[in-house]
Amino acid sequence: MSLAGRTALVTGGTGFIGGRLAERLVVEHGAKVRALVRNLAGAGRLARFPVTIVHGDVTSPSDLAAAIQGCDLVFHCAYGTSGSQKHRARVNTEGTKRVLAAAGTAGVKRIVYLSTLMVYGKTGDGDLDETAPRRRFGNPYSDSKLAAERMALSSGLPVAVLQPTAVYGPYGGVWTGNVLRALEIGRQILVDGGEGLANAVYVDDLVSAMLLAAVKGEAVGEAFLISGEEPVTWKEMFRRFERMLGGEPRTVDMTAAEALAYWRRWQRRQPRALGEAFRILKQEQGIRTRIERTREVLWLREMASAVLPESWQQRIKSKLGSGGRPSAPDGALPIHPLSPEMIGFFRARTRVRIDKAKRLLGYAPAFDFATGMDLTEKWARWANLV
Amino acid sequence: MQEIQESKLRLAVVGCGAITTLHHLPAIALSNRVEAAVLVDVDARRAEALSKSFGVPETATDTSGLQGRVDAAIVALPNSLHAPVAIDLLRRGLHVLVEKPMAMNVRECDEMIAAAAAAGTVLAVGHEFRFFDSSLLVRNLLRDGLLGELRRFEMRQGVIPRWPFATDFLLKKETAGGGVLADFGAHVLDLLLWWLGDWAEIEYWDDAMGGIESDCEMRLTMRSGVSGFVEISRTRNLRNTCVFEGSRATLEAGVWDPDPEIRLLIADRQVSLAGRARRDGSSGLDFTQAFVRQLDDFAAAIRERREPFVPGREGRRSLALIEACYARRQPLVLPWSIPSVSREQAS
Repeated sequence: MSLAGRTALVTGGTGFIGGRLAERLVVEHGAKVRALVRNLAGAGRLARFPVTIVHGDVTSPSDLAAAIQGCDLVFHCAYGTSGSQKHRARVNTEGTKRVLAAAGTAGVKRIVYLSTLMVYGKTGDGDLDETAPRRRFGNPYSDSKLAAERMALSSGLPVAVLQPTAVYGPYGGVWTGNVLRALEIGRQILVDGGEGLANAVYVDDLVSAMLLAAVKGEAVGEAFLISGEEPVTWKEMFRRFERMLGGEPRTVDMTAAEALAYWRRWQRRQPRALGEAFRILKQEQGIRTRIERTREVLWLREMASAVLPESWQQRIKSKLGSGGRPSAPDGALPIHPLSPEMIGFFRARTRVRIDKAKRLLGYAPAFDFATGMDLTEKWARWANLV
Repeated sequence: MQEIQESKLRLAVVGCGAITTLHHLPAIALSNRVEAAVLVDVDARRAEALSKSFGVPETATDTSGLQGRVDAAIVALPNSLHAPVAIDLLRRGLHVLVEKPMAMNVRECDEMIAAAAAAGTVLAVGHEFRFFDSSLLVRNLLRDGLLGELRRFEMRQGVIPRWPFATDFLLKKETAGGGVLADFGAHVLDLLLWWLGDWAEIEYWDDAMGGIESDCEMRLTMRSGVSGFVEISRTRNLRNTCVFEGSRATLEAGVWDPDPEIRLLIADRQVSLAGRARRDGSSGLDFTQAFVRQLDDFAAAIRERREPFVPGREGRRSLALIEACYARRQPLVLPWSIPSVSREQAS
């Protein structure tokens, strides 16, 4: 099957991955793309291409029915990005349920659902492939993605599921722009020397896998882990971002025990720091903006929903993070504390296997870490992030 | 006392989208010179909801019955409707303040200007950035030659928008006329032409690939001989300042912010001066106050039978430059956009 001339609906088309997918569907493959867009202000990048933008919400059956009519393919990349954790989780599950229902009614030939590595729960050291049990992680993001993935695979529809690792690249948020913004204002702890595995994947490799999953017959009913060819360590990843920013050191080595002790010290400082933080917040919009950009807030709001249980997230969110972040005595950048869950996350040497995607999809990662990061750096400079 | 005794200018606001909700109606509420009499929108519910929140007595779904009920109109519709609606209103004797960009092209601008001249009505264009104190200060410093001989300029304007769009008109060429250049670029280029005079040569690059551009760059040489670089984006947060480098000093001023910091670096670069522009007796300006100034100027132009601060002729200038850019368009090369995977691999 070729994608040329096919009509594809992309949900989440204003986002990092959906946006690149829409671009490549149009430019490389000559597909007709429709994008269901909730927030029109975010659609500037999509509008560069001859894409049909349909204003609507992925949880609205009527919006979906209008957008999906006449489509051969659906790429479901949308997920909850705003509102409470509960609301976001609902967007993930209800959105997927309704996309599947609309696709079923419209007789869509292939649905590619973008899931996540997080559906395997907290992973340990060693190889991980698709035969591993799916487990709840204990936070709304991961658990709702797991529920949505299960719905997709048991729907009886021609679905293929992709489970990407840490996706980075131009226009990236969680593992690109957010990392840069966090390193700008504080140092990242490299747990146990940063030897844990990041399993990073460049956005174009993931998008290539999605395009393959849309056309390969073998993909139907299957889930595929998608990562780069070689797993990079967290040290390599953070050091590369550190190099982009230049200047002073932005990473610091700690053993897991030291990182945990640092976290506990940081927590003990919270009550006093909280009062201080609110006093400053009342006075100064600029400081409020800075605090909202700290690691704790960035990650716990956007990505570490994948790492922390909601109770933790609420607690940290309500305290607005770095009010209590100890500053280093030597005038160096302060160190971003890591929660016990994050320490475990960064410590794990999980090696994600991509053999199944290679075998059934013909997936062949084209970007090694150095190449992907060089392109990412070019974008970050252009985007005024470094 | 005089102002209280004067009757207010009665306005129709045509188009009830984001700019009307966020700026025009709040500005009208703050102005002593104008009042909103009718809100017009094809979406009756939208007009009614706004009329309730802002206490506007009447609503309508088209402009046919406005004559006699209002003195003037603000046209805040999708760009493709600016010219036809404004011309119709001008011909019916209503004064018009039209949102930027003034129209879709220069030909439409000329028709609007001619319609206003024939009817003896005022035509003003919504370039409210000109009403910022900082914009006026930059204009005066450049005009008075404070920086010495101007050597170079640079404007980098980029904001990831959070605008609560009511419709998708800005995402389509047929209703917007173009992408970021026709939208936010209209403000940027209006200021540039106001500050530096007419242009002589341009080179222009943008990233549109069958749609409308989200990012663009241009190299401009002005008639005065000075040349510079302009970058405009709706996908990136850029520095959002203009820099003018002269033989005696360099000036940097924020453009997007209505009350920006302005820096003046004297040529030896040892010491710089930084501060905010203020009119005598005024405090920091916010966006809505710039709209109030724009409205007050519009009302005064009508009463005093004079040109508004930004007449149609001025709105036409930035549009002529936008048109020239599109006519000279070259692709903006973004290294990460080069198709990286061959078509065969996925087919």
